[in-house]
Amino acid sequence: MKILATVKRVPDPETSIKVKPDGSGIVTDNVKWVINPFDEIAIEEALRIKEKVAGSEVVLVSIGGNAAPNDVKEQLRTGLAMGADGAILVVTDAALEPLVVARALAKLVETEKPDLVVMGKQAIDDDSNAAGQMLAELLGWPQATFASKVELSGDQKSATVIREVDGGLETLRFPLPGIVTADLRLNEPRYASLPGIMKARKKELKEIPIGDLEKAGLDVSGRTQLVKMEPPPKRQAGKLVESVDQLVELLHTEAKVI
Amino acid sequence: MQALTFGITDEQRTIQETTTRMLRPFEARRQEFERALREHGRVPEEFWTALAEAGLLGAFVPEEFGGTAMGLSALATAADAMASRGFGHPLFLLTGMDALCIARSGSASLQRRFLPRIASGALKLCFAITEANAGTNSFRMTTRAVRRGDSYVLDGEKTFITGMDQADYVLLVARSRSREEIERGGLPKTSCLSVFVVDCHTPGISLTPLPMRAIDGAAQWTVHFDGAEVPAENLVGEEHAGALAMFNTLNPERVLIAAGACGQTERLLEMSIAYASQRVVFGSRPIGAYQAVQHPLADLRIRLEAARAVTMKAAAAFDAGVDPSEAGTYANMAKYLATDLAIDAADRAIQTHGGSGFSEDVGVIGYWERTRLMRTAPISKEMILNFVGEHVLGLPRSY
Repeated sequence: MKILATVKRVPDPETSIKVKPDGSGIVTDNVKWVINPFDEIAIEEALRIKEKVAGSEVVLVSIGGNAAPNDVKEQLRTGLAMGADGAILVVTDAALEPLVVARALAKLVETEKPDLVVMGKQAIDDDSNAAGQMLAELLGWPQATFASKVELSGDQKSATVIREVDGGLETLRFPLPGIVTADLRLNEPRYASLPGIMKARKKELKEIPIGDLEKAGLDVSGRTQLVKMEPPPKRQAGKLVESVDQLVELLHTEAKVI
Repeated sequence: MQALTFGITDEQRTIQETTTRMLRPFEARRQEFERALREHGRVPEEFWTALAEAGLLGAFVPEEFGGTAMGLSALATAADAMASRGFGHPLFLLTGMDALCIARSGSASLQRRFLPRIASGALKLCFAITEANAGTNSFRMTTRAVRRGDSYVLDGEKTFITGMDQADYVLLVARSRSREEIERGGLPKTSCLSVFVVDCHTPGISLTPLPMRAIDGAAQWTVHFDGAEVPAENLVGEEHAGALAMFNTLNPERVLIAAGACGQTERLLEMSIAYASQRVVFGSRPIGAYQAVQHPLADLRIRLEAARAVTMKAAAAFDAGVDPSEAGTYANMAKYLATDLAIDAADRAIQTHGGSGFSEDVGVIGYWERTRLMRTAPISKEMILNFVGEHVLGLPRSY
């Protein structure tokens, strides 16, 4: 079976982010870039399925630049070093909104014909949580988002997915092909070992200019526009209180929460 | 705009990430890890397993033997990343060097016997060259290896041998030709040494512990060889040609020491910055706002960039197989720059931390000995200056 796993490059969650003074985006100088942690979980799940189902193939997909400062090839190579078989990079320097991402992925699904697309439930930079759902809609495929467990039927014709929903777990079964988006507890992703990094040197990383997809009918026009980005207000210093009574008093009179 | 090709590659960044990930479970219980080091003098065994799983023990082992042969640049990147997080294993460097020596100079059967088990983490190796009267000048060594049938018989004494009690095998440099033979035959003085892979548990080998400091995770020993026999097939390279096999290994060791020193500097800087950013002494500004605190740290950061550049250049030169004397020049320069830098970093970290810099819980003071050792070993600062004076500047030999 063939699995597509999506890869988005995001700033390392451990680094602190600064917003540009003009509010047009974040300062990207000296930012360490990593694979979106949820995408990493998606790759891991794809690799686990591959290890269980003989003859499976995992292909990574990303949309982004192929040269500094927007180069996402490093993140794709890392995914290849984790064990994916190949990678496709749709080359564009433009920042795309989720709908355009979903449209581009739909185009790739037409040519790649995967049985399953595994994606992170959201990217930790913009937290849109939309591309997976939109892709399912565009393709008319079933979807299971926020997956915490994925199991394929013996004949690999259907998948059973446990989703983490408010107040409990929901179990869904759907026929393949379909879309799964990965939640945090789906698995613990492996890291690339040196032998993996070595093998990744020989794996194919195919670059497709976004123009090629446009010729095939991709619409890159968006519906939203980034108006302004601003950092959250600086947190006020805390206040030490003398007693529980005083705390209750202040929560009532000052914070007005009780 | 032209692409920036100078500096760290994508692959090296991935190796940094791999190393960081490998360390994550140990970071989560750093105190336990450090207690094990203090109380037992050893790095927990799981750390070795993790090094093997990440593929870091096979960086000098060819692919056919389960390694990657990714080389010194990869290993130096990992050593730097590991030290940057405050971790290390003394036998990691030694086993790596020994693997390189076996991979470069060992016979096919020796490679087959040892390299797969090194890459898989099944074997730990240490290194024995120094003697009480043969430190910087290895050609004064007296430990003898005399051929008898299918074996060599070893007699003599090595000292300052790190981790001999933990290692399975020791890469031993011994004298296979006596001084008289060399003089009588008019042979070059370099043609007297041979290198062997010796089972540490061979009868005739005994150990005396040394009361040494500065190396975490491994004790140091005087190792006595009293008629210990090593099979002739464990000879690495040609008989009497051990000096070459050995020198091939010492340059990479210097690069790895330099990489580790860069990582230690990074670690000390991070600790200093964190402390200087929150410590308030007068008024409401943290001490990091004072130039007297800030400038020494900024200076370290600048020098770290330079030391890393030379270290990676030295590693790249070795991997590219440039002439050993040229590779040696960069290796020496990297070791010189990085180890002096690390000593300054330790000094300034202590000063930044004030009195708490001396607390074992804070973890800065240990670096004082750890970094200082590297100005002396594996080669002294002065010997590097001698080397550069003679071989790079072309001035008369000064020692």
